[in-house]
Amino acid sequence: MAKETFYQEYEIFSKRTPNSAFQHQFSLLAPNEDMAFVMAQENFMRREPVADIWIVNRKHVRKMDTEEKMTLGRLENKDYRTTKGYGYLKKKWRQYEQEILDEKEILSWGGERK
Amino acid sequence: MSEIEKDLPMENKEALTSLLFQLADDDFMYAYRGSEWLGLAPHIEADIASSSISQDSMGHAAMFYSLLEDLGAGNADNLAHMRIASERKNSILTERVNGEGYYMEVPHYDWAYAVVRSYFYTQAKKIKIDSLCGSSYKPLAEIAVKVKMELYYHRLHWETWFKQLMGSTDVAKQKMNKAVELVMADFGDVFSYGNQKLEIEVSRLIESEEDLKAKWHESIKPVFLALQMEAPTIPDLPSKNGRNGEHTKDLDDALLTLSEVSKLDPVAIW
Repeated sequence: MAKETFYQEYEIFSKRTPNSAFQHQFSLLAPNEDMAFVMAQENFMRREPVADIWIVNRKHVRKMDTEEKMTLGRLENKDYRTTKGYGYLKKKWRQYEQEILDEKEILSWGGERK
Repeated sequence: MSEIEKDLPMENKEALTSLLFQLADDDFMYAYRGSEWLGLAPHIEADIASSSISQDSMGHAAMFYSLLEDLGAGNADNLAHMRIASERKNSILTERVNGEGYYMEVPHYDWAYAVVRSYFYTQAKKIKIDSLCGSSYKPLAEIAVKVKMELYYHRLHWETWFKQLMGSTDVAKQKMNKAVELVMADFGDVFSYGNQKLEIEVSRLIESEEDLKAKWHESIKPVFLALQMEAPTIPDLPSKNGRNGEHTKDLDDALLTLSEVSKLDPVAIW
């Protein structure tokens, strides 16, 4: 195990309003969580509205190694998974809407059940 | 059509077409079986992650079918949906059902089987894709480089599941070991090129069956070693060879389901 030093590295997250998402802001050195809290507040958040703060010891962050970063590659062949692959639907929909809905058409929607 | 494609000698083209069908049909059936898990995987994140992998794999199948389309084998969608079982070249492993029951009724699928099949299959696919990156057929080598990009994640995903369940409770281990037996019983044709073996290997489209089998075995060894288990061996002779169009009833049933919609209206524009 690595030698424990007096100062540890903390990652600081905060949000501006109760309903906004937490954002990573910065990191700082502190001997423990409580000290990290007050340091974060005093040093970096004096001039900005803050609704909440999270402190995470950096050693508790599971990071990716170089090999793991290889798993992030993706192919650009996924139009069918996003709505942009279905851009033509709007036009098709409009066409059907313009067709007259007669009784025969509506009754045919029930179909025959096996 | 590029110069390379036009210049292919006749025997070479037959070997190439056969290999492309093997790759395309494998991913197509693997993705189809994976898609049957939608909504049924052990928890919601596993459901989404595995479905996403199935969709990626379907994307890979589409790329291989499009290479066949370029060679004049027919329309890619039709190649995927309309061919009968005896024309298909997927391995038996990829066509096997996920377990008892049917997903539209009462599925009793086996997650251990899904994990082992997916892990062993993806590991085998990685070995093949690595080899295909140096294929003598350039368009295939180019596709392999692309497919490889997404295999890092697929492989890591299934290897993680495999290690976690194998290192879990006695019940989990028991189910996993049973799944390993089932999967290995069907592994005989995974690295087979069927009756095109000689032509495929001589044309240097991909390395030999034997080389790839050895590489697969080497690649899973460390995982089994860490679990203090012996890595399984690939059966020498498959009971049925999917590469030669020999298949089980599972494939017939799957084809009926997966082609149902496209056969309703073959001229529909999607």
